[in-house]
Amino acid sequence: MRDFSYLRADSIEAARNAAALPGAMLLAGGTTLIDLAKCGVAEPSTVIDISHIEGLNAVDVTADRAVIGALARMSHVADNPQVRNLFPAVSEALWQAASAQLRNMATVGGNLMQRTRCPYFRDPANFPACNKRAPGSGCSAIGGVTRGHAVLGVSEACIATYPGDLAVALVAFDAEVDLGERKLKVEDFFLAPGATAEQEHDIRPGEVITAIEIPGSAAARRSTYLKVRDRQSYEFAAASAAVGLELESDGRTVRDIRVALGGVATKPWRVRAVEDALRGKALDEAIVREASELAMEGAVDHGANHYKIALAPRVIARAILKLGETA
Amino acid sequence: MTSQIHTGQTIIDPPEDGHFRNGAGSNGLAPSPTTLSLHLTINGRDHALEIEPRVTLLDALRDRLHLTGTKKGCDQGQCGACTVHVDGERVLACLTLAAQVEGREITTIEGLAGEDGTLNAVQAAFLEHDAFQCGYCTPGQIMSAVACIREGHAGSDEEIREYMAGNLCRCGAYPNIVAAVRQAAQELRS
Amino acid sequence: MTVHDMKHAASDSARLEAVGGRLSRVDGPAKITGAAKYALEQQLEGLTHAVLVGATIAAGKVSAIDSRAAETAPGVLAVLTPDTIMELKGASDWLGNPSPQPTYNPLAREVTYSGQHIAAVVAETFEQAVAAAALVKVWYDETPAIVDLSDGKAGDGIPIDAMTKEWGDAEAAFAAAPVRICAAYNTPREFQAAMEPHGLIARWEGDALTIWEPSQWLDGMARTYAEWFGVPFENVRLVSPYIGGGFGSKALALAHSAVAAAAAKMLGRPVKLVLNRPQNFTSYGGRAATRQTVAIGADRDGRIQSIVHRGVNETAVDGMWVEPLGSVTSIMYATPNFSSKQNVVRVNTVVPGAKRAPGENPSAFGIECAIDELAHELGIDPLEMRLINYAEQDPHAKKAWSTRQLREAFAAGAEAFGWAKRSPQPRSMRDGRQLIGWGMAAGTYPVRRAHGEAVVKLLADGSVVVESSSIDMGQGTYTILAQTAAETLGVPVENVSVKLGDSHFARAGVTGGSRLAGVMTGAVYKAAGQALDELIGLALSDPRSPFQKLQANTLQVRDGRIASSRGEGPELSIAEFMAAVGREQIEAKGDTLPASTTAEERYANYTTIAKSIPHTEGDWSRHSWCAHFVEVRVDEDFGTVRVSRVVSALDSGRLYNPKLAESQWKGGIIMGIGQALLEEGIVDRRHGRIVNGNFADYMLPTNADIPDIQTISVGIPDPHSSALGGKGVGELAIVGIAPAIANAVFHATGKRVRDLPITLEKLI
Repeated sequence: MRDFSYLRADSIEAARNAAALPGAMLLAGGTTLIDLAKCGVAEPSTVIDISHIEGLNAVDVTADRAVIGALARMSHVADNPQVRNLFPAVSEALWQAASAQLRNMATVGGNLMQRTRCPYFRDPANFPACNKRAPGSGCSAIGGVTRGHAVLGVSEACIATYPGDLAVALVAFDAEVDLGERKLKVEDFFLAPGATAEQEHDIRPGEVITAIEIPGSAAARRSTYLKVRDRQSYEFAAASAAVGLELESDGRTVRDIRVALGGVATKPWRVRAVEDALRGKALDEAIVREASELAMEGAVDHGANHYKIALAPRVIARAILKLGETA
Repeated sequence: MTSQIHTGQTIIDPPEDGHFRNGAGSNGLAPSPTTLSLHLTINGRDHALEIEPRVTLLDALRDRLHLTGTKKGCDQGQCGACTVHVDGERVLACLTLAAQVEGREITTIEGLAGEDGTLNAVQAAFLEHDAFQCGYCTPGQIMSAVACIREGHAGSDEEIREYMAGNLCRCGAYPNIVAAVRQAAQELRS
Repeated sequence: MTVHDMKHAASDSARLEAVGGRLSRVDGPAKITGAAKYALEQQLEGLTHAVLVGATIAAGKVSAIDSRAAETAPGVLAVLTPDTIMELKGASDWLGNPSPQPTYNPLAREVTYSGQHIAAVVAETFEQAVAAAALVKVWYDETPAIVDLSDGKAGDGIPIDAMTKEWGDAEAAFAAAPVRICAAYNTPREFQAAMEPHGLIARWEGDALTIWEPSQWLDGMARTYAEWFGVPFENVRLVSPYIGGGFGSKALALAHSAVAAAAAKMLGRPVKLVLNRPQNFTSYGGRAATRQTVAIGADRDGRIQSIVHRGVNETAVDGMWVEPLGSVTSIMYATPNFSSKQNVVRVNTVVPGAKRAPGENPSAFGIECAIDELAHELGIDPLEMRLINYAEQDPHAKKAWSTRQLREAFAAGAEAFGWAKRSPQPRSMRDGRQLIGWGMAAGTYPVRRAHGEAVVKLLADGSVVVESSSIDMGQGTYTILAQTAAETLGVPVENVSVKLGDSHFARAGVTGGSRLAGVMTGAVYKAAGQALDELIGLALSDPRSPFQKLQANTLQVRDGRIASSRGEGPELSIAEFMAAVGREQIEAKGDTLPASTTAEERYANYTTIAKSIPHTEGDWSRHSWCAHFVEVRVDEDFGTVRVSRVVSALDSGRLYNPKLAESQWKGGIIMGIGQALLEEGIVDRRHGRIVNGNFADYMLPTNADIPDIQTISVGIPDPHSSALGGKGVGELAIVGIAPAIANAVFHATGKRVRDLPITLEKLI
């Protein structure tokens, strides 16, 4: 880790000012920044510690809306009784992420800034080519070990998977990220690589995430996050699905449905094609499975990650059917 | 003053020109060394340290303060061996800067037993159930287990397994760890 | 004069502290409080920190190194390169064969694997060394690498004739057999992945070198250092009081060890060098990738007529590792015709090494899956299949088993598991969307024997000190040696302190191959017996002794008190007696070597493995045995496999401490679960580099992956295997777990996965 200076911000204004400085990076939980600094990926000249700013960790939840302060810890949000009741997919996405220790450290704002786990991205000494780290240098992953890489939203510049869980639930329920001067949909906050793999987020110098807002809905109240992985715990998703479901009064017909995928795309991946195919339909296993396949439209594999194209629709279908059973 | 920056314990104004009073932060390959004067509260005692900002809590504990009970297994947040408590919550010392936890209460394995040496219920249960072999992951397991029980995540064996999953054990003491946590949780509840 | 009588009862009902009792770890309190100081936690004045720079290519030459930026970085004391590091002498290998090269450079100019050490930076602090190491620039002339066994350039490899085992006419008998199966089984590169990283602290004082380093073999490693630096063996002291896991990886002084010791010598300051976690995947060998084909010919009633086995393992371009793939194949089942041959193939990797049950582990994966396939082919229950072909004697050595409680293991395991309720058809058991499979397999590990020595001291205060340069990496050496000394001497176990992990103590050979407990309990038993003989002899003969007038021909010591066995006369604590006769201590050194052994032979015995005693020496074939019964749940949509139940019945002979032995068995089973389902070093074929060398991507099982595990001891004391009747414990239980899981996955899904690990894409 290269040397840096350490500054502690005690207000959001101070953080914004400092964040605009060249070479400055914000430190909240540290689980991404310190990790990447050790890998040699992040090389801040100044680290701005925002974890001591007061008043940014509140979790306010009503039936209409959840407002989660950017510095709220993942574990606290996961265990919040109202989040569990009104936004179960959010709670489940959080407690299935990382480990208890990392969830105690990591903040929800910092979690939105989590970087990919692509092994080539994380190892600059051995793999200098990486369009995320060094625009135009190429992609070491293409043609390499791709078992964990994305099949959706990929480009010739980058196939790195977005690794997080929370944001998958957030995009399913139209959550917004509050950047102070502006708010934008979490779905729009994340950028697919295209030709500019280095730009992962729509965030400008000096902007600091202050809160996440999730609109309440019947679909959010009946929701789940299903995460499939090799290991039972403490692992990133091979494929995951955040699903919310609202049924008509007949208890079978879909009034509203939300579906988003994790572990298979370059950003948290809302799949409206599946939602559109099921809205107004009666929940039936064959129909759900068929509709779930629509999520893979445009999927491109790179060999070892081919299984994700078969796996992801099954994860969606299982999550929808599970919610249907709890009717 | 609505906008303030702290360097260590010093509160300074954010400068207009982007240079800070502590003189650090050049962009060269050999940045000028910066040292922070820190006071860390560890196991109820105050420790003064002069260290670079990049020093992690883990290296501060092990290399500077000689509190080597907290172990370094992976140094990249992937094994749980370095688990300590900050303000009563379990965190990984390897991904925590020492500077970041100034002003917080830090507890390590050395501070878990009573002043008279009375073992914490989790420590005693680990011994009784043989919940370790080589012992290297053990301080992290115990710190994690104490917090797991305190969080209310030790309600069933399944829950214990999930909420202890962040502490790898290569010797394979997991079933014995579950037994120890289950017993300690029962003792601490009664 | 017979002064004591060891109770050899195998019963677990022995007193807690006696041999066979369930005494809790005596090193436990230090480990649960953080007080246990591991080798790398030694605090020294003036300590410096070294960080290695590794090759980023797998094959080629280092053409240039630019270390100027690193040299001028803050805190840097030295940058060592192949050109600037001091020259070392070539050291002999672990068999004691002299080095073919007179000199040794631990920093490479010729790169033969990715990650090979090229340079090292030494600085005042760890952080400075890490930062400066990133500034070292290396240029290479890269040449094509052979990345793995499937590389077109790899070829068929080198036949290892010593591995050939043949009897009868296996090929002809296979061709003539009415039922035949033949399949290929592959295991990937796997890693020991001990939680404590490799590393060391080296300090020179004149010509004396002290090394604090986690070590499974202090005397062997001390010899290597002595030879590298051309100093007498006695000048090297290795200290390793606790070892944070080794699993075979920490028995040798390696290149990084040499770098640190050389840096300390060059700088005149102590140097600490710890491999970071990714370097722990490239700096020393894990288990070699293996490929086997197993062909079995049988009668229609399931009787095996022939086994034809061929195996290959990878080794390094510049180093030889043979993973004996026919070791279980050749002894598990009775067959009139047998052939096993093995090649090794050189690839650009660090030399593979020992990982828990080297040889037996992959060997069992082949034969134990193949037997399951044959059972399925014939419609015979897999357990019945194994009983039909039960080997009543060692089919290869043609000798009687010393003890083989495998039939008992099958019976006890099947009973506890409920195997009789198994529905034989694949895909016939389910719970909702989970397919349930029951599988089984057998395992075995040879009883490796060697010699060791121990010092036992009776001190004036009545306490006992046991000293040995053997080590405890979690197997329980501290505890069982305390139990052995306490029982032999007749003192409470809390009066015994065991000191291990210092090469200046009485000598011991390698801790590997599950041999240490048998060797060291034997040595301590002998040394303690000699100390007791001397104590009682003194009590009977010393004019100052209150017992002298008794005119007895023996005395007994119980609970630390000396008395006549007839209950007459005085009774004194050992401390009171020592005071009465004016003795500071009684010291005895015991070893298990023949009295005629020369000093040279003793040195070779402890510092090489050349003197290991074959497990088929004399009239007996000596092995531990086990039977595993496993339940898996496979998600029919996702292909994810979870092990939901394990019952294992194991024959390790007499257990010196069942509580600790059960822990080791469970640990082996859990490592086997990882091997079966998760663990694989994945190589980028373009670069010949492992890309998942860390704990997030090379996945070990977590607590959440492990179900309840029931272990059942079916062993009986084996007098041919060790002084106290024990056989091997530590490696046994991993052998057979992976095939039991693979067989259970087949039973659950109808899919036979023959390439480990069984990951979800293979079942989806």
